[in-house]
Amino acid sequence: MNESLASRRDSGRFDFRLRGVVGVWLGHYTAFKGGWMIEMTGIILEPVFILAAVAFGIGELVGEVQTRDDGVSYAVFVAPGIVIGNAMWHSLFECSWGAFRRLQTNRIYDSILAAPVSMRELVLGEITWGATRALMTTAAVLAFATATGLVESPWAIGILGVGLLTGFMFGGFGLIAAAIAPSTHMLTLVFTMVATPLFFFSGTFFPVSTLPPWAQPLAWALPLSHPVRIARALAVGELYMALLWSLLYLIVATLIFFPIAVKLLSRRLLI
Amino acid sequence: MPLDSSKKFGDFSAVDGITFDVHHGETFGMLGPNGAGKTSTLRMMSGLSPVTSGESEIDGIDATSNPRSIRDVIGVVSQQDGLDPDISVRDNLTVYGFYFGLNREMANKRADEVLDFFGLKARGGDSVDDLFGGMRRRLTIARAFVSRPRLVILDEPTTGLDPNSRNQVWEQLAILKNSGVTVVMSTHYMEEAAILCDRLVIMDEGKILAAGTPDDLIRDQAGAEVAQVRPESGQRDSVQRQLKDGGHEATEIGAIFTVRGVNGNRADLSNISGARISYRAANLEDVFMGLTGRDLENE
Repeated sequence: MNESLASRRDSGRFDFRLRGVVGVWLGHYTAFKGGWMIEMTGIILEPVFILAAVAFGIGELVGEVQTRDDGVSYAVFVAPGIVIGNAMWHSLFECSWGAFRRLQTNRIYDSILAAPVSMRELVLGEITWGATRALMTTAAVLAFATATGLVESPWAIGILGVGLLTGFMFGGFGLIAAAIAPSTHMLTLVFTMVATPLFFFSGTFFPVSTLPPWAQPLAWALPLSHPVRIARALAVGELYMALLWSLLYLIVATLIFFPIAVKLLSRRLLI
Repeated sequence: MPLDSSKKFGDFSAVDGITFDVHHGETFGMLGPNGAGKTSTLRMMSGLSPVTSGESEIDGIDATSNPRSIRDVIGVVSQQDGLDPDISVRDNLTVYGFYFGLNREMANKRADEVLDFFGLKARGGDSVDDLFGGMRRRLTIARAFVSRPRLVILDEPTTGLDPNSRNQVWEQLAILKNSGVTVVMSTHYMEEAAILCDRLVIMDEGKILAAGTPDDLIRDQAGAEVAQVRPESGQRDSVQRQLKDGGHEATEIGAIFTVRGVNGNRADLSNISGARISYRAANLEDVFMGLTGRDLENE
């Protein structure tokens, strides 16, 4: 009937349309726009409360903390940790809890896949939205930290990129969790057993070197340790080559989580 | 738009070598009970479910090798509404346009068009959760039209709706039918198939048992009228024996024997005693019963 369509074949694994990803992202953006005032409390206020209390409250009781080259006040030390830890929370929540609602409760993924959107584009759209939220909250908290004098170097602008990458990495992880969770009840394990320990033990609130020697390699294996390390180096302006390993960790983990999420969601939805 | 395919889950054949052809502009139905393989068939046609063997083609596009291109040109209405409760009725349509690559202006335009056509204009700003059964379903069907599809696939469009809402949806589907759109639908309601479908196949256990127009199927398989034989109390066994001895093929469902007509004539049951006998027009349910010995609602 239509020759050009008849002779065309979807080109297997290379079949990819950016507009599929953009469509999924725009869907999220539409919902976000509708409730932006409430969203802002989570994006700005909540993390600012935490940062203010820890940096200016607890910070008053704590002395200097040794960074790689120098010593900084606890408030300066802890700020990038909270900024990036918070980026993790936002992306992870969106891509696990939010994704589970769309996947199971509201069956929205079924609707999206019934449109010409491939699973890979759906997953990338979801993760990109998670990363967008991570970027928004990173920008907001970073602005507060800068305004309150907790940022010492102009390199800190790079923390936006770190927040975005953190969002991509944990977005992929969150989707994997949503894809394998049989119920929201099980999904809470992502927060109790993953996000909370990561938030506290990834060099966010105290240096990894404070941990007992046996625990330090474990802390460096945790995915949040690496973006926190990069963000802190950027905030205080101490850049060194070893940070590239942390960057590599972030990128590799993201690239590993992505196809796993695609596979697991396909197994659940495309049968 | 031919389909010829099979679908296996492990050793279980959900769809076992079925073949049919849908013509442009017609409403084609698959009538069968739950588990007949209707949803699997529709999912294969939509490129959403890998086909174990065979092919499904729509306007020259093969669903097995082009699972996505096929969805450029069709609209899919699955059993679950899959509507987003976080955004308005209108935004549900606009956002669906985004998935097809429409820009905002175009998506909004299409959203307004289908809201209008489906009589949902006044509800555009409402939350999806404020829509009741029939309206909600209509929104789901409307959503499939945002992309102006060449073919629409409806999987059990009125399952789970109350009779009133079902009528509303049927009215809407009848309007669509008159507008010339090609529809492939599944249902386990014989009335729905009879009202909406130009042609249909009757499916059970992954196979097609019969195919044709509703009228032809009824005439060929059940005759013009069927007899309903209600045994008086204590007479069931006797009535069953009499029917058997008289050479009548009867299906017993509930406490009623249904006897289909022969060669287009109703069965002559004048010698049956101990039962109340009434006649009614044959329907697709009788066709299914004649083919399987079961009724459609039976699981």
